[in-house]
Amino acid sequence: MASTEDDLEREERLKSSLWYTIGQFVDEQSIDESFNATPQFIGALTELVYTQIANASRDLEVFSKHAGRKVVNTDDVMLLTRRNEALEMLLKQQLDAMRAAEGRDEQQQVPGAKKRGRPSGAGAVKGKGKGKQ
Amino acid sequence: MPPKAATANNTRRKAPSFKPPRPVDPAAQPSTTAKRAPTAAASRSTGAAKPPAAASNSRFQPATTIISSDEEQDDEFDLPSDLDELMQDAPEERPQARARAIAQSSPPIPPALLARLFHEHVEEKNTQITQGAMDLFGNYIGIFVREAIARAKEERSKAARSGERSGGFLQVEDLEKLAPQLVLDF
Repeated sequence: MASTEDDLEREERLKSSLWYTIGQFVDEQSIDESFNATPQFIGALTELVYTQIANASRDLEVFSKHAGRKVVNTDDVMLLTRRNEALEMLLKQQLDAMRAAEGRDEQQQVPGAKKRGRPSGAGAVKGKGKGKQ
Repeated sequence: MPPKAATANNTRRKAPSFKPPRPVDPAAQPSTTAKRAPTAAASRSTGAAKPPAAASNSRFQPATTIISSDEEQDDEFDLPSDLDELMQDAPEERPQARARAIAQSSPPIPPALLARLFHEHVEEKNTQITQGAMDLFGNYIGIFVREAIARAKEERSKAARSGERSGGFLQVEDLEKLAPQLVLDF
């Protein structure tokens, strides 16, 4: 992808940004626990996470295309977890929580939209998700 | 689960939806969902990533966490009194609650950065992604990062036990050892 110099530079900058973020995260974690990380570790971890994001992004795109969609949705993300049940469970919980929050918000903000909001969201995605797993 | 959570929360819900997360959230979990986290990955992350996850994240993207934080979290920040009430029944179930908290606390990668990286890497420039999917993806990557760190710590303590080097600092070698399995698992 990064064939031209511009692309390369952009990639570098994105990596720097990710590096910084992950460095912060590791630092914060290490404050409360008895460990520390070498800068090299953070660099390597950045590289790993960057690659993982890149792969997952491409996966997501391909999943949605395979499903005949143009927009990536939560089903595609759930499909990322197909090889790891525990992970799938964690994300499922997260998804349910998000969905519940959404339904509730709509209910609160627009009382009239209640019927439309919650059932459609929950129904549509749950059904599809089951079919795929 | 959504209906259950909704009912559980109706009683103490009275809030604007925007509240920055704070490290207290583990306390809120037991009532609705703490029982559900007994698997390998869950307990692994419990052992390793622990409470600071929630604490540390709050600093990163206070403005954007609304989407990924779930209602229990939201609720907690409504009122101090709620908090006290929740704390009372919390202690026994802490570890599981923690696993849950980790799963739902804000991801270590800011959503904006993640979105940028996503669009950078898809083949077609006009590929779109829904907000919900993006949040979930952020969660996925967040779990990935935490898991990597947790496993690195495990490797480190193993190395320290066998007396190779002095412990304390996570090394690139630790990451090298865990990377293949980690990537297979995700």
